[in-house]
Amino acid sequence: MMRPLLSLIRREFTAYFLSPIAYVTLAVFLLVTGHLFYLTLNALTESGPRGAEYPMQLLLGDEKFWLVFLFIPPLLTMRLLAEERGTGTLELLLTAPIRDWQVVAGKYIACFMFYVVLWLPTLAYVPILTNLDWQTWEAGIDPWPVLTSYLGAMLAGAMFLAIGLFVSSLVRSQLVAAMIALVVSLVFVAAAFWRPDLTSGTRISQIIYVISVPEHFRHDFTRGMIDTRPLVLYLSMTVFSLFLTVRSLEARRLRA
Amino acid sequence: MILVEHLTKYYGEYPAVRDISFEVPKGRVVGFLGPNGAGKSTTMRILAGFLTASSGRAWIAGKDVFSDPIEVRRRIGYMPENCPLYPELRVEEYLRFRAGLKGLGWWTRRKRIDFVVERCWLRDVRRQLIGTLSKGYRQRVGLADALLADPPVLILDEPTAGLDPSQIRETRKLIRELGREHTMLLSTHILSEVEMTCDSVIIINQGQVVEDGTLADVRKKHRNQNLEEIFVRLTGQEGI
Repeated sequence: MMRPLLSLIRREFTAYFLSPIAYVTLAVFLLVTGHLFYLTLNALTESGPRGAEYPMQLLLGDEKFWLVFLFIPPLLTMRLLAEERGTGTLELLLTAPIRDWQVVAGKYIACFMFYVVLWLPTLAYVPILTNLDWQTWEAGIDPWPVLTSYLGAMLAGAMFLAIGLFVSSLVRSQLVAAMIALVVSLVFVAAAFWRPDLTSGTRISQIIYVISVPEHFRHDFTRGMIDTRPLVLYLSMTVFSLFLTVRSLEARRLRA
Repeated sequence: MILVEHLTKYYGEYPAVRDISFEVPKGRVVGFLGPNGAGKSTTMRILAGFLTASSGRAWIAGKDVFSDPIEVRRRIGYMPENCPLYPELRVEEYLRFRAGLKGLGWWTRRKRIDFVVERCWLRDVRRQLIGTLSKGYRQRVGLADALLADPPVLILDEPTAGLDPSQIRETRKLIRELGREHTMLLSTHILSEVEMTCDSVIIINQGQVVEDGTLADVRKKHRNQNLEEIFVRLTGQEGI
């Protein structure tokens, strides 16, 4: 029962390392987080009254991170189904004894696993960001912001990946899949950049807060808080996108 | 083994397959003939579970194609037209992936891969990237994949398209050998091949079955003309 699924996950996960995309995204992601870490480190060690109240906020809380991060999920998901449709291998996959939901689950789990791999090297920054005491293993700074930030990053990523997978099921070209996924993800990222014009507390700023992922990070996750509203958004968008992807595969059988 | 009843498939307004019915008994190798666009691939895709029919029913080894798709797909080895493959994988990796997808356990997987590699003469290219293989080898990889789970029914869409004469001869030999153990439905444009490998033929034209029977019966019915004459007459392509 689970054997086809495991086989598919294995194949999709290793497929990342057979193309240059994996290495390029890894390199770019590490370069950007590394640079942000350097800036954070400068702020933390600065003498005088200036400095950083929440180090994670400097890392993940503003445009510098999100404008680059925006590109990563679409790059990871663009090939998943669009490539198979383009080359015709989807026909082989869909005539194997594996259910449509297993195809979607296998591909989604594989790209999420790669996404986790992307974040793993950043764990090297954690001892510094929490000012860890190597003798007693105690954090000098409150460690909660780090934990909630990683939780947020995983769940927000899950949402962007699910959206990308759905888009990838609709088109034949990887490039088009990436572009459309980028535009859709932009809705959840760019909303935050209007915030300077808006006074907080108005109806419109509340709505923007609900859908803008960088705001969730700036406001909550990087300060050690877990707000249920973003969690509900991420999880419901993930489930909804995956559901639509399964439906889109089923619809493929009815058409050509 | 394969039973099709009143199968119809519309692409939008256009009926690609119109109310076709036929039966393939166990152990028979059937040539599925017809001009391009007659609905051969569509019919095969419906049987393999890639497409859903607009109406009609079909059974493979007693299982309904529409209500029991997973069980049906377990019993079919399907090779699509043009034989799409993943170019970035090695032959062995590809077969291992496909065997897992078909639910074979670790031990049977190894045994079956060894078997199909021998059977389809792939030993020399076992470690080679599929993207670097010639058309003939790729076709054999597709065939090896179809054979992996040892299915009772093989559905092969143009297994000899684009091969050179000696490769066609090899593939034909392989098909003839496989026909002893598997029920087979294969489409082709090479009529001499049908005469050499198949027990019976189904000819379809514009989505309808125009001839169905054993080679001898069909020849007799058309006063011992050769298959080419019969094909051209039935599909009305003469003079085009």
